[in-house]
Amino acid sequence: MQDTNISQNNFEQCLKCSLCTTVCPMMAANPHYPGPKQAGPDGERYRLKDPGFYDLTLKYCLNCKRCEVACPSGVRVGDIIQASRLKYGRLSRPLRDITLASTDFVGSLAVPFAPIVNGALSLPIVKIAMDAILKVDRHRTFPSYSRRKFTDIFEKDLPSQEGYKRYVSYFHGCYVNYNYPQLGVDFVTLMNACGYGVRLLDREKCCGVALISNGLGKQASENAAVNMASMRKALDGGSEAVLTSSSTCTFTMRDEYDHLLGIPNEDIRPHLMLAVKFIYDRIESGQISLAFKEMPGRLAYHTPCHMQKLGWTVYSTELLKMIPGLDLQILPQECCGISGTFGFKKENYPYSQKIGAKLFEAIRDSGAAAVITDCETCKWQIEMSSGYRVYNPITVLLNALDLEKTKMLNAE
Amino acid sequence: MKFDIIIIGGGLAGATAGVELLKKGRKCCIVSEGLSLHHTPMDEYLALGGTLLPGDSVIVGIWEEHRLKAVLTRNLGNTPLEADTFLLCTGKFFSKGLKATMDSIVEPIFGADVEFDPCRDRWYDSDFHAPQPFERFGVKTDAEGRVLIAGAPCENLIAAGEILAGEIDIIKSAKDVCRTLI
Ligand code: SF4
Ligand code: SF4
Repeated sequence: MQDTNISQNNFEQCLKCSLCTTVCPMMAANPHYPGPKQAGPDGERYRLKDPGFYDLTLKYCLNCKRCEVACPSGVRVGDIIQASRLKYGRLSRPLRDITLASTDFVGSLAVPFAPIVNGALSLPIVKIAMDAILKVDRHRTFPSYSRRKFTDIFEKDLPSQEGYKRYVSYFHGCYVNYNYPQLGVDFVTLMNACGYGVRLLDREKCCGVALISNGLGKQASENAAVNMASMRKALDGGSEAVLTSSSTCTFTMRDEYDHLLGIPNEDIRPHLMLAVKFIYDRIESGQISLAFKEMPGRLAYHTPCHMQKLGWTVYSTELLKMIPGLDLQILPQECCGISGTFGFKKENYPYSQKIGAKLFEAIRDSGAAAVITDCETCKWQIEMSSGYRVYNPITVLLNALDLEKTKMLNAE
Repeated sequence: MKFDIIIIGGGLAGATAGVELLKKGRKCCIVSEGLSLHHTPMDEYLALGGTLLPGDSVIVGIWEEHRLKAVLTRNLGNTPLEADTFLLCTGKFFSKGLKATMDSIVEPIFGADVEFDPCRDRWYDSDFHAPQPFERFGVKTDAEGRVLIAGAPCENLIAAGEILAGEIDIIKSAKDVCRTLI
């Protein structure tokens, strides 16, 4: 009977143990936030009776999903909160939220003017103006926009992707396309060395994570439908998998599409993954071999909350442990505090920094030369708040490879 | 992914065993569905460099006769987790190490043999404060702690902690098991 009388986001399975409240970073930093148990399964009972019980402080939830990882009863605590924000949170959406959420649109506007935009975004006067007008906190360093989009570099500058026996498709995401195309170039170089050609999707939209967290569910669903259709086509067209380099995009498309937006993805899910998982699995099954150079030094790995929720930290860390000479320190899993667009909002900035403080301290104590992480927003936050450079595991792996030897090992 | 020992369950028994084994130089991985309030042994385990898969659960075992070769987890999908020895430390009902159906008590991952009273009416004592009979139910093992499945011991699947039948001292049970492994 217990298996059949449970609603979709299973709030009935909450046993009220309160373990989730011990790991919620927002609850510890912000006395106004009621915490996962109250905001999630407890509040859901009331909201089902009367939507008037919807509590506006739910906007503070970072959607980090640490509560779900902690819950021994498998309650989708974070999903319950996000779903009710989408359903009941008909707050007026300030222009600022829509701007921050529209990564595709804003990115494509900014790239042609990158030098001006980058300069402008870091000028103190502009920062103060943004603070006042848009309510984007002026302490926040904006990720700089690239001069050229990744897709453009991929078409015009990268070696031809024809003639490979095996192919993967790449979901580059907004960050690689507009802010940091070098990561995309690193990905393509690494996959080519592993013997795989890379294809882009016919149409790629922002995964929608920022739209979901800013309550723009309809636009997120439109993006999701486009992405799922493109991936279906790519897999039908012979790509072995659709690979990504950002843990949050991956998590959103694998889990949130189904749980929050109701967009079916079970056919795509097994083939949609971070490149680190794909490469690790192919090494184990003997289809990829990597030849490394010595890379002495200490680097610290930070587990992004969504990486922990995916449960995939081991792929990144086990791959990095293969690098000879590298002293890899695994930082204790703490939230960096930025949570995508959350930390960009003026009212959230102090919470954001307070939450991240433990992580920044651990980084400083680690004695590492730099930090490695799978998430671009963690990267912004850590670089801004700790002064350390942050790299994606793909970039670190590529730099540690003996490229020629690796190519030979994987040539058929 | 290969480890010396995979510990299923990151509660008091699992984390205590993990610490003992890491100290003896064994490469360990704990698969833990949900957190335990026992932070101290888990913090020590992580500080010693143990691998933890938090929020993950074992779905199925891959067997070679009576030997457990690998397990598959919900999050790792098709990546098998291999080990020489597996410790089953999933606890009792709250942590889902045991599951009650209408007429039986089952061990949900491997279908291990469970000791329980076949008469459901005797599972509970109506005096709330009395010791409850169901608290003593648990998986059956041979003298070396090896889990029994359909009456036969598994070569390398060993149970420790609250999942065992009878009155259990969790920490002692975890340490005893480690002693037989080292
Ligand atoms: S951890 Fe899970 S079961 Fe415990 S209070 Fe939170 S949601 Fe409920
Ligand atoms: S998702 Fe994160 S911020 Fe939101 S309730 Fe859960 S732990 Fe707290």
